[in-house]
Amino acid sequence: MAVLKTENLARYFGGLAALNQVNVEFRENEILGIIGPNGAGKTTFINVIAGIYLPTEGKIFFNGQDISGLPAHRRCRLGIGRTFQLVRPLQGLSLLENVMVGSLFGKGLGQREARKKAKELCEFLGLSDITRDITEMTALEIKKMEIAHALATQPELLFLDEVMAGLNSDETMEMIDLVRKIHSRGITIGIVEHVMRVIRELTHRVIVLDWGEVIAEGPYGEVSNDPRVITAYLGEEA
Amino acid sequence: MRNSRYLLYILILIILVTLPLHTGVYLLNVMDVILIYLALALSWDMLLRSGQISFGMAGLFGVGGYAAALLHLNTGVNPLFSIILGGLAAGVLAWLVGMAVLQLRGMYFAIVTLALAEIFRVIVRNLPDLTGGPEGTILPSAIFAGNSTKTYWLVLTVAVVSVIASEIFRRTRIHFALTSIRNDEVVAKSSGIDVFKYLVFIFVITSAIQGIIGGAYAHIYGFVSPEGSFSIDFTLLPIAMALLGGMHSTWGPVVGAVLLGVASEFLKLYIPYGHLLVYGLIIVIAILFFPQGIVGTLGQRLKKPR
Repeated sequence: MAVLKTENLARYFGGLAALNQVNVEFRENEILGIIGPNGAGKTTFINVIAGIYLPTEGKIFFNGQDISGLPAHRRCRLGIGRTFQLVRPLQGLSLLENVMVGSLFGKGLGQREARKKAKELCEFLGLSDITRDITEMTALEIKKMEIAHALATQPELLFLDEVMAGLNSDETMEMIDLVRKIHSRGITIGIVEHVMRVIRELTHRVIVLDWGEVIAEGPYGEVSNDPRVITAYLGEEA
Repeated sequence: MRNSRYLLYILILIILVTLPLHTGVYLLNVMDVILIYLALALSWDMLLRSGQISFGMAGLFGVGGYAAALLHLNTGVNPLFSIILGGLAAGVLAWLVGMAVLQLRGMYFAIVTLALAEIFRVIVRNLPDLTGGPEGTILPSAIFAGNSTKTYWLVLTVAVVSVIASEIFRRTRIHFALTSIRNDEVVAKSSGIDVFKYLVFIFVITSAIQGIIGGAYAHIYGFVSPEGSFSIDFTLLPIAMALLGGMHSTWGPVVGAVLLGVASEFLKLYIPYGHLLVYGLIIVIAILFFPQGIVGTLGQRLKKPR
């Protein structure tokens, strides 16, 4: 059964359709790539699924349950986790405490278990010196911390929004391995990425968004040769 | 390390409780004022930890004061109990208006709370049958018949309860929720935090504390009036204290309240009413040169010795 399914999902901002007639399905424990040119609606898609925006039209089903009207915090508790395109660390909390926010509220753990869970995840992601202040962390570490934070909510479905952006090639390799490790924990992953190598290596399927609509869907090898996709990325031949 | 810290707290508490044995009425009266502002400064800071800046303290302080005084006068309940009822009244009122006002953020919230305090004052002023109108209401006697030792103990209790509440909020999941909300509501929501529920909760609790302080104040002076009980001083001075001492902590507002409280006592002797001017100057200097406040700046220095 599909973990998440959308039915004619649409989101308008004023008269502009940021998402239109989106019908997609996340299958259990797959890595689904979400690609498309800038402004195609990839982040909006994540925001609508995570409940930051409510859909204008259409429905979202999570494990068969209609969650279209639920607020973001309820969706998180049900098992939808996400990271952010631009990192948003919580100032005034240490590395460990940032991760703890996820474990405290995602599934409502008590402080002791939440701390244990957060420590375990920091170790899993290779984050050391966990009582550090976040101002002393590198960009890569902050990204890892945000992934740990999202994982700490114990999601069934995790969205990674451009986690490779700004990383050098060694770091990208490391991050690809991490995503594989996360996947092997049985988590379904939706990944938005501009680095096509990452999409090629990681995903089982991809969906291509352009102007808020799904223009292609399937394994990366097929989709990348689809003329509509090439047109969306490169434009029409003159 | 931890034990020696608790020992220090207990020592300070013993000194504070036994203070009336060593000192006279004047110092106790000064302490009353300092402790009242200390509790107000703390309650303001507790809400600030969620990122919401309130300018409505005087309103809830006044409501608590009027509720306590009028309930005692009209129903004859015990003054101490009426103080708690004053806190309850402020808390319920905060819950009612909070459902609407807490949809707002930042400066919009700040301005509306300022307006609310003024609205409460105007309402109280215009219900002469119930509240005594512009002249206010005088209670037959001050609490404990004006006994300064017992009065001091009452205020000390209120202040200690505020400190304990603040520390509880610093050490439990509430701290994580409020800090997340202050940083980034989208991140907070995405972590499973019910943002609105936490904002209402902290607004009701801090308002109830302000109501209790207002109730105690009304009974200590045996008098409530629109201009006295809703004075803007009860909003501005605690904010100044919390800013000077350091925000987002328990000891910041405490240190700020003690320093400014003592300073204003001295200043009053030399420049009547001019102390407010000096207050303003201190606040400007504090914000310009150590925006994290005394406790925040010291804490940073201790962490990273340079």
